[in-house]
Amino acid sequence: MNPLSSTVLHLDTVTRIHGEGATEVRALREVSFRVAAGELVAVMGPSGSGKSTLLTMAGGLDAPTSGTVSVEGVDLATLGNAGRARMRRTSVGYVFQDFNLIPALSAVENVALPMELDGVRSRAARAAARAALEEVGIPELADRFPDHMSGGQQQRVAIARAVVGERRLILADEPTGALDSETGEEILRLLRARCDAGAAGVLVTHEARHAAWADRVVFLRDGVVVDETGADPADVLLESRR
Amino acid sequence: MSSWRLAIRLARRDALRARGRSILVLVMIALPVLAVTAADVVIQTQEVTGVEALDRRLGTADAQVTVPAEGRPMVQRFDPMDGATTVGGKPDPPTEAEISAALGGARLVEERVGSVSYATDKGIGYVEVTEVDLRDPVADGLFELTSGRLPETAGEVVVNDAVLDSGYALGDTLDLGRQNPAPTIVGIADSASLRTAPTAAGPIGSLGLDARNGASPGWLAEGGPVSWDAVEALNTMGALVLSRAVIEDPPPASEIPEELNWDSGDDSMVAAVALIVVMALLEVVLLAGPAFAVTARRQARSLALMSATGGTPAQSRRVVLAGGLVLGGAAAVLGVVLGIGAGWLLLPVVQRWSSHWFGPFDVPWPHVAGIAMFGLASAVLAAVVPAWIAARQDVVAVLAGRRADRPPSVRSPILGVVLLGIGVAMAAYGAAAGSGSGEFLIAGSAIVAVLGMILVVPVVVAGVARAAGRLPLSTRYAARDAARHRTRTVPAIAAVAATVAGVVTLGIGLSSDEAENEGTYTPSLAMGQAAVTGYDLRPAAWDELARVVDRELPGATVTPMTGVGGEDWVDLQEPGGSAPLLDEMSVGFGSSMLVGRSVPDLVPGIAAADRERAAAVLADGGVVAFTDHDVAGDEIELMAGERGTTIRVPAAYVRFQDDTYPTLAAVASPEAVERLGVDVGTVAVAVAGADVSTEQEQDVTEAVAAVNPNAGFYVERGYQAEENTRIVQFVLAALGAILMLGGTLTATFLALSDARPDLATLSAVGASPRRRRSIAASYALVVGFVGALLGAAVGFIPGIAITYPLTAPAYTDTGPYLDVPWALIVGLVVGLPLLTAAIVGLCTRARLPMVARLD
Repeated sequence: MNPLSSTVLHLDTVTRIHGEGATEVRALREVSFRVAAGELVAVMGPSGSGKSTLLTMAGGLDAPTSGTVSVEGVDLATLGNAGRARMRRTSVGYVFQDFNLIPALSAVENVALPMELDGVRSRAARAAARAALEEVGIPELADRFPDHMSGGQQQRVAIARAVVGERRLILADEPTGALDSETGEEILRLLRARCDAGAAGVLVTHEARHAAWADRVVFLRDGVVVDETGADPADVLLESRR
Repeated sequence: MSSWRLAIRLARRDALRARGRSILVLVMIALPVLAVTAADVVIQTQEVTGVEALDRRLGTADAQVTVPAEGRPMVQRFDPMDGATTVGGKPDPPTEAEISAALGGARLVEERVGSVSYATDKGIGYVEVTEVDLRDPVADGLFELTSGRLPETAGEVVVNDAVLDSGYALGDTLDLGRQNPAPTIVGIADSASLRTAPTAAGPIGSLGLDARNGASPGWLAEGGPVSWDAVEALNTMGALVLSRAVIEDPPPASEIPEELNWDSGDDSMVAAVALIVVMALLEVVLLAGPAFAVTARRQARSLALMSATGGTPAQSRRVVLAGGLVLGGAAAVLGVVLGIGAGWLLLPVVQRWSSHWFGPFDVPWPHVAGIAMFGLASAVLAAVVPAWIAARQDVVAVLAGRRADRPPSVRSPILGVVLLGIGVAMAAYGAAAGSGSGEFLIAGSAIVAVLGMILVVPVVVAGVARAAGRLPLSTRYAARDAARHRTRTVPAIAAVAATVAGVVTLGIGLSSDEAENEGTYTPSLAMGQAAVTGYDLRPAAWDELARVVDRELPGATVTPMTGVGGEDWVDLQEPGGSAPLLDEMSVGFGSSMLVGRSVPDLVPGIAAADRERAAAVLADGGVVAFTDHDVAGDEIELMAGERGTTIRVPAAYVRFQDDTYPTLAAVASPEAVERLGVDVGTVAVAVAGADVSTEQEQDVTEAVAAVNPNAGFYVERGYQAEENTRIVQFVLAALGAILMLGGTLTATFLALSDARPDLATLSAVGASPRRRRSIAASYALVVGFVGALLGAAVGFIPGIAITYPLTAPAYTDTGPYLDVPWALIVGLVVGLPLLTAAIVGLCTRARLPMVARLD
């Protein structure tokens, strides 16, 4: 089987409703899309369009009101809380806008965290973490604590944490939002490289410039996929929407 | 002032918004305030003060006059019950007319107060009696008639329910024994002051009170206020006066006679109270501290914004301090109000246990104000350090979203070590000073050492974090996080440490005291032996006693012990010597000289070889003399008390073994005693060969007492550890556990709420919900373990020092005894932190926040 064509993430008519009655908010409405291995998909849309909700669904941090979310062919609803946690440890890597490193842990410990949580022996986990840090180009920062790193360095550590081990799905929520544009580009280059190496990536962003790194762009508005492009350059798509 | 108004408004809003934290602080401060207020209300109410008790003691009279010492001149304090004494002089009792004249012609109503024995359905009891004409209006208020009528003649009395409960009914004759009046019970009346004790009252002569049973002549006086001058005048006539006017409006304290103006020990009392207040304040401050630290951190961003827009550090400080002011004020008011309510609710319960009637409900407002101030002060003090840190925070770092405390300062640990050194020095000095001033120095050293320790805690926490690299994830996270957030960790650890230090100090003191008791215990009999002893018993009584013991203890060997008795005694003297053979002894077996062919087995502290030597001399017609020093001779001179006979006989000098207190001066052979011509008889009964159980001992004791109240039974069981020590140690450990749990729990849950973003991250990278539990438990373990270890170490300083004044009193050459209760300490340092960690782990919700955003 061609790994590039295998589906890693599949959202099938996913609806997510927050609250009830008068306070009801439909964050996502019957959203469907697939991400295959080796593919980087950008999810775009204005504030409140449901981008982040989509990402929390994909990582099993939140459950859909209706519809199914499958990761590597497994319906997340069939896994318990613990099963979804295991899936996040082994299959999914998150990258957030505000880095979300744990300040009490050093860089290498932060990267080793998912493996350690999965019960991998600390020595092995740290070795893998050092390798991951090497891949993102900051092996020399392994023993630093997050408070003593720049934003770009912290985000590299976060990406290393997202890719450490054999994870095949990287979920990035505005990973460059807190960075200057030059550093942001480097981070996206890293993400692109990981996907080219076989991972499936979802990149939530509101900057068209960043969407250009993606293979496809899914455009959300008010919780609905309003467009999905395969090969069109994102800029063209955005122009046509205005 | 206006800047305070802004700060208080901010603090009030913040307190309302962060409800959980506010309630935590409220409870932590209001609870001690509530408990102390309630206790104070109960104590003040049950305590019948001078003025409150006047009606109970005086009825409606202006004064009560008694002539206690047959007319010897006296001096008294304002209330003669507080102190009075004779000041020499010849007895010349004043007459009723003289007393009345001294009181300006007051009307006198005779009153006698005392206690007499009476027959009950179980035997003989004692009844508190008052002889006074109860129909006289002046006696109104002394007794309250509940049924029947007041006595009218000297053959009638009223009693209370306690007397009726012992086998009497209205209309019965009160049996006061032969040769005493036998009054009829015509009414039931409660005494105004005594609640549960049997009481009786009737006219003069009705209850047989006179000088024989210790009642002194006395009168209730009615005829206007009695001044202090009049009291002093009556004192010189030999009378004591309780004057309503003097008690209600006492003269200056300088008027108290010099003989009675003793130092009432107030200084040491004040010192003790001050120590307790300081320790309690410290504990509350430390327990509430973490909550304010977290509050200050939550406010960090707004404070940084305030600074960025031109606020001064003082204003930032005020905002945090105002939090303490608002919450402390609320907690103080709440605690006081609830405390007064709780005291009111408790009164009926406490009254049921008390033998006296309580006074009117009494809220001691000055005390209550003090207690409320204590609550307010502890909250403000708890906010001081967070406020100081908030005022110095790095505005840029806070606005950039970095969350850690500044690195620990170097100066404060040095100051801490210096304080610890001062603590050790004070403790050593206190130990050297011995009992008296020593205890206070040592207690002071405890406070200094604990304060020093608090300053050292940040360094220790940082050290633990540095060493945590190899620990499992949760513990590593907890240790590092604890070090990063020292403002909330340090007070929590210090609270645990202060508690443990106190428990360890008391524990060492207690078990060392116990060790001293054991070490200085001297057996009265040889181990496992028993004896019946008594005084003033006839030979027939001894025979009966031996029979009783034989009956109660089948299988025991019961041997009457003979000794020199009656009016006779024998002096012993080493020929040519002048020093007494024994410096001190106490007669253990009814006579200092036993008579027989051997040293009885039950005499303790005699070596087997000495017993053989003794038996040989006794077979020879000689005497065994006990000494406390080596005597070489083999003869002794015996002098028979008043008869004056002196003889010289062969002797064996025997030393008691070192740990034995001499209970016997000599054992003489029958021949020697016969030559002296002194009376010999049974002086005790030895009981051997029976393994006497405690129940049997109780039975024999009762049987022996029934034969003759002057006889007693004793079984030597060696040193018996006091049950109390165990219980007190257990209570100490439990108290330590509760405080440790409180400190650890608050710190842990505050840490968890602080760690929300970290927990969200952990969740996002796949931590299972259980992880929150293990992190909480690890945090509790770090706080509990570090605190307990530091506390135990610090507790040794005053703990060891206190054993000197406690177990090595100046007038003895024993001690000091030091016994460290290792089980207690290991339990505190290892067991308790594990237990609290387990409890915290179980109490923590296993749920991770799912929102991966910073709050």
